[in-house]
Amino acid sequence: MGFLNDIEPLKQTALTEFKNAADLAALEQTKGAWIGPNGKFTALMKQLGTLSKEEKPAAGKLINAAKVELEAALGACREALELKAALPKEPTDFTAPGRRRTLGKLHPLTQVTDDIVRAFRKIGFAVADGPEIEDEYHCFDALNTPADHPARDSQDTFYIATNAGAVSPSPGEAATAAMAGEGGRSSLLRTHTSSVQIRVMEKQPPPVRIIVPGRVYRRDNADATHNPTFHQIEGLYVDKNVTVGDLKGTVEFVFRELMGSDVKIRFRPHYFSYTEPSYEIDFTNALVKKMGKDWLEIAGCGMVHPQVFETVGYDPAVWTGWAFGFGIERIAMLRYGINDIRLFYENDVRFLKQF
Amino acid sequence: MKVTLNWLKQYVDFNWSSEELTERLTLLGLEVEGVQKISATFEGIVVAQVVTRDKHPNADKLSVCRVNEGTGERQIVCGAQNFKAGDKVPLILPGASLPMKPGDKDPFTIKIGKLRGVESHGMMCSHEELLLDPEAIGHKKEDGLLILRTDAKVGQPFAEYLGRSGSDVVYDLEVTPNRPDLNSVLGIAREIAALTGNPLRIPEIKLGEASVPASSELVASRIEDAELCPRYTARVIKGVKIGPSPAWLRDTLEKVGIRSISNVVDVTNFVMMESGQPLHAFDFHLIAKSADGKPTIVVRRAAAGEKFKTLDNQERTLTSEMLLIGDEQKGIALAGVMGGANTEINDQTVDVLIESAYFAPVNIRRTSKQLGLRSESSYRFERGADVGICDWASRRAAQLILETAGGQLVDGVVDGYPSPPPPKTLTLHFAKCKDLLGIGISHADQVGFLSRMGLKVTHQEPGECTFSLPTWRVDLKREVDLIEEVGRLYGVEKIPSTPPRGEHGSNEFDTVYDQIAEARRILTGLGLNEAQGQTLIGKAEIRSHPPEEVIALANPLSSDMDALRPSLLPGLIHSLRHNVSRKNYDVGLFEIGRVFSSVNGQTKENRSVALTLTGQRALNFWSGDDRDAKADAADLKGLVEEFIEQFGLRGAQFGKRAGSTSLFLESAAVTLGGKLPLGELGQLLPTLAKKYDLRDAVFLAEFNLDQLLAKRNPVKAFKALPQFPSSRRDVAMLVPEAVTHDAVLQAVKQAKAANLESVELFDVFRGKSVPDGQKSLAYAFTYRAADKTLTEADVNNAHGKVLETLKTNLKAELRA
Repeated sequence: MGFLNDIEPLKQTALTEFKNAADLAALEQTKGAWIGPNGKFTALMKQLGTLSKEEKPAAGKLINAAKVELEAALGACREALELKAALPKEPTDFTAPGRRRTLGKLHPLTQVTDDIVRAFRKIGFAVADGPEIEDEYHCFDALNTPADHPARDSQDTFYIATNAGAVSPSPGEAATAAMAGEGGRSSLLRTHTSSVQIRVMEKQPPPVRIIVPGRVYRRDNADATHNPTFHQIEGLYVDKNVTVGDLKGTVEFVFRELMGSDVKIRFRPHYFSYTEPSYEIDFTNALVKKMGKDWLEIAGCGMVHPQVFETVGYDPAVWTGWAFGFGIERIAMLRYGINDIRLFYENDVRFLKQF
Repeated sequence: MKVTLNWLKQYVDFNWSSEELTERLTLLGLEVEGVQKISATFEGIVVAQVVTRDKHPNADKLSVCRVNEGTGERQIVCGAQNFKAGDKVPLILPGASLPMKPGDKDPFTIKIGKLRGVESHGMMCSHEELLLDPEAIGHKKEDGLLILRTDAKVGQPFAEYLGRSGSDVVYDLEVTPNRPDLNSVLGIAREIAALTGNPLRIPEIKLGEASVPASSELVASRIEDAELCPRYTARVIKGVKIGPSPAWLRDTLEKVGIRSISNVVDVTNFVMMESGQPLHAFDFHLIAKSADGKPTIVVRRAAAGEKFKTLDNQERTLTSEMLLIGDEQKGIALAGVMGGANTEINDQTVDVLIESAYFAPVNIRRTSKQLGLRSESSYRFERGADVGICDWASRRAAQLILETAGGQLVDGVVDGYPSPPPPKTLTLHFAKCKDLLGIGISHADQVGFLSRMGLKVTHQEPGECTFSLPTWRVDLKREVDLIEEVGRLYGVEKIPSTPPRGEHGSNEFDTVYDQIAEARRILTGLGLNEAQGQTLIGKAEIRSHPPEEVIALANPLSSDMDALRPSLLPGLIHSLRHNVSRKNYDVGLFEIGRVFSSVNGQTKENRSVALTLTGQRALNFWSGDDRDAKADAADLKGLVEEFIEQFGLRGAQFGKRAGSTSLFLESAAVTLGGKLPLGELGQLLPTLAKKYDLRDAVFLAEFNLDQLLAKRNPVKAFKALPQFPSSRRDVAMLVPEAVTHDAVLQAVKQAKAANLESVELFDVFRGKSVPDGQKSLAYAFTYRAADKTLTEADVNNAHGKVLETLKTNLKAELRA
């Protein structure tokens, strides 16, 4: 029975040796020395046969338990050594910058346009589109802006040269002649997105519920607040029984969506040739107050002039509607605190990445 | 249009603060663009009387005075010598400032201080210190203090002593072009009267007895073009004395930005500002007499090429479209725009002819535009003056000239008004107001609002009312204009908002908008930043299109913006230059926008998408041999492939162009099925890159987005995942350099190998053991059947065909 007393000390020694194995190879060697065919523990088990019949079951149990414990310890040590072996040679510095993949950014004007479009779509507006090279009819006449209206001054409008090669590059008499065009329908770059109102109404019977984002052009030299190219968005709603109340309700909804629920909107009577009554829209919020102002002008709007309806063949006795429009750059400048419109068109990546 | 608070109050009562007036005017549609508060002139300066004058104990040239300024006495130290006790002088009190001289940066503010040890509580002033010409205000010019009249009231504000106004507020209003009637103080007062319900006080004109012969005996008029001049009135005043205007007149005009010239001219300007009616005053004796001994005013068109010197001393060449006021010999005024130098009021003028007329707006606008000559007068006539006010304005001017320049009025007026138009009327249906504004306003209020605006009820029935329109409201043309007026006076802020309602909209572009947004999302996902370039670029920058296809502007601002972009690439190259010049060397951009070209004389406008890459391939990193690798054509190609595929286009082909182009060093045309052009991609000519100061190779691609939109198939359908394993066979082969990847794929296709699932190029090698002019290509072929596991024999059989075809078709030398 003497060897039974050896089990526990032998096991403890084996466990210590397992734990002390420096690597997997050493561990395998230690394993052979203890529980391999010629191992010390294996030898102990072989002595089991020398015991009496009565002693055997208890002793067998004891040895088996010790063996299971040793094998478990071996497994644990092996796993620990494997993990140790898998560690990279140089430790990872998780504070060091990673190997980045970049996501490109949408232009801030696109982001603002998308937000405006999203707000309008929530209330059932569809996006419409039209040409940027327009004729005088769609840009002015049909919008009740007669030929001698100040808005038609050539200093505001870019005209397309009728014969690309023959026009002197300097503005002046030659340009005026080239601008005349055929039948008074000279081509120009649209000065507002309102021309699309006419194009849509010509094509589509009422009701109409559209918004039109797009580029427009004015003959202004570029400075901090002007660029010859800029963006507008136009809304048009034509239906039966549309009133100023509807106009106000929609404008207020859209601006709350865009500028936050603390925004306040004010309508101020104004004049546009294609709406009657016409209003300018001012807004105010904490930002405006911070700028030291009471109100900031943000958009123009009004009820579609009956003359415009007559021009496109809608019966003004049946249909009423409203239109409104505003500059996208202006909204983006306010929203992000951008102070120079030219930044939008320079495409400096340090600028683009900020949005 | 500038107007002052005090001026307005002469015509209508209101008790709003200046802030409240700003708010009210703004909400009436008269946006206040600027408010300037004018503090009373000579503020803190009072009339004071010297009580005692003693020598300064420490200075010979100074005196110490006791001075009474009305509320008490104070001690003043003074250096002037020209005064004695009992004299009345202007005294400026501590804390007040002297008027600023031109060039002064800060006002000089008086403080209590010691002069040679004696305290002085203010300063007695000389005329120089007050910037006054003593003779102009009726005082003696002398060195030292300005000595005031003996009857001056001690303690009276000095400004009041001089007859100058107290504080005032100048409003700069934006008058919309449809409301010419608001380019007058009376017009604005009328709006306030309508809003408050208080009466409008139009100045009453009493001209008294005219003792000299009637105007008609002195002058005649002949309107030769009544269409351009429906009304012309002339009135004569004899014996005026031209001189400076009285202070009130000068002061009033100067506050609204009009320079004072002389009493008679100032009166015509004052009446124009007051009533909106431009007037002109002629020196009566400079108008040539006709055969009958009296001058005839002729309103006629100018002769083509006629020369005329306007009173700004510029000689103008007129056209036969321009309206001229003349006598029988010469032109004397460019109608409605500017008077002539030859009949201008001057110091010797004794008799004055006042013109008050109405000219057709469009003609004045054209004349003014053509000559590049704008005036307060043309500004008003081109927007539409009030034909009804001509005579009132003329009489008002006569009254004020008599008051300020003396003289005698000649009886009556020569009023050429051949065909006065019948009064215009408009009918308002009360219910329409609610239909448009969305709120019910009582019939009585509707009529009330319009009546206060000067409209007169001519006929009323239940449900509607007809008004005759005042001549000054040229903007009222149809019923909706009346509704607008009702809404304006009612107040748009009182109209309740209605929540969005009604049918949903539709437009064919709506889905296109989303598709374009999807293209943007894919491109940003690929790491490119979105750019927005100028639509207008310089013709010289355009290399992709021949000049005849480029659309030019007729009236460009400059030569670097004289054409419409036919391609997005010049703009992207510009953006690269902007970035690289600021040391942003690694740039990837894309743009989606419109491009324009002229095809057979027709302008064409389509959407385009372009992208560009330059600089380092990947972001900066701190390890790795290839961390500094620059982007190359394969990076561009990879972006393009991923974009095109993600956007839903299959079967794009890349056909390499032989040789360089005007833009690209190496490039390929991208087509669908080899036929339909989609776009192009390539490397920018290094010579151009250098010209734009671009450091690294630049890669560009551009596609016709409309074409991509038309041809994309974004439909997504599920395909079952493979059930059976695949087998892979790798092949390495030597082929001539000219054999392209596409050629390999074509050859493989011809082999018609069964169950060939994919072909992947995984290595291209040139160099050791590869002969010159050849390259080694390595491909992985994957075979898989949908319904079974392929046997070795199946795969070998199929793959054998592939190998055979490669050998025969491409002269490929297969390697182990």
